[in-house]
Amino acid sequence: MVNHAQVTYPNECCGAMIGTIDGDQKTVVHALALDNAAEGPQAAFYQLRPEDLLRADREARERKMDLIGIYHSHPDCGAYFSETDLKNSCPWYSFVVLSIQNARFDHANSWLPNAEQTHAEKEELTWPES
Amino acid sequence: MARILIPTPLRQFAEKQDTVEAAGATVGEVLIALTVRYPDLKKQIYNDEGKLRSFVNVYLNDDDIRYLNKDATPVSASDTLSIVPSIAGGARGI
Repeated sequence: MVNHAQVTYPNECCGAMIGTIDGDQKTVVHALALDNAAEGPQAAFYQLRPEDLLRADREARERKMDLIGIYHSHPDCGAYFSETDLKNSCPWYSFVVLSIQNARFDHANSWLPNAEQTHAEKEELTWPES
Repeated sequence: MARILIPTPLRQFAEKQDTVEAAGATVGEVLIALTVRYPDLKKQIYNDEGKLRSFVNVYLNDDDIRYLNKDATPVSASDTLSIVPSIAGGARGI
């Protein structure tokens, strides 16, 4: 996910997170890079094609895992969940946002939007340091 | 009976099944059969007006039903329906 976000800088990247769920604990095992299908400038916008998400769900099933969330990057700004993120989200998945500053990974947060797309709860997010 | 693939976060509303079979001659009939059986699932994919939520797409095999005949699209026993959300976003707008 970090590599994908750095390679696509200064544009936003997006992809699917495939892994396991144990109670409230979600573990990302595989990140599937997907195309940013947004028309026009992609420095502050991303769009997933539903058919790519369908493909990600099928890949998760083939791996006997779950599609647990979506990731995307924010080039040269923080890993907040913007109004644009919220209004175009879906309450079913975790949304990891990676902040990329000057082409390098800076920090990340995970968000869980509600069904009304009015609020996103911050989730605890940890990752290996290496 | 058509197969319906249930996305991971919605399986809790469908007795934890990843795939459900439901009867119906059209996409609309299959979805009604599904949501009558699992009312909590209905709240996730339909709004209070009884329409699919704005971020919900339904695929018949590999095709978005909006580009077929929507709810009236015929369904056979060998078909698979998938529930796929629309997702986008971006840094602008804090």
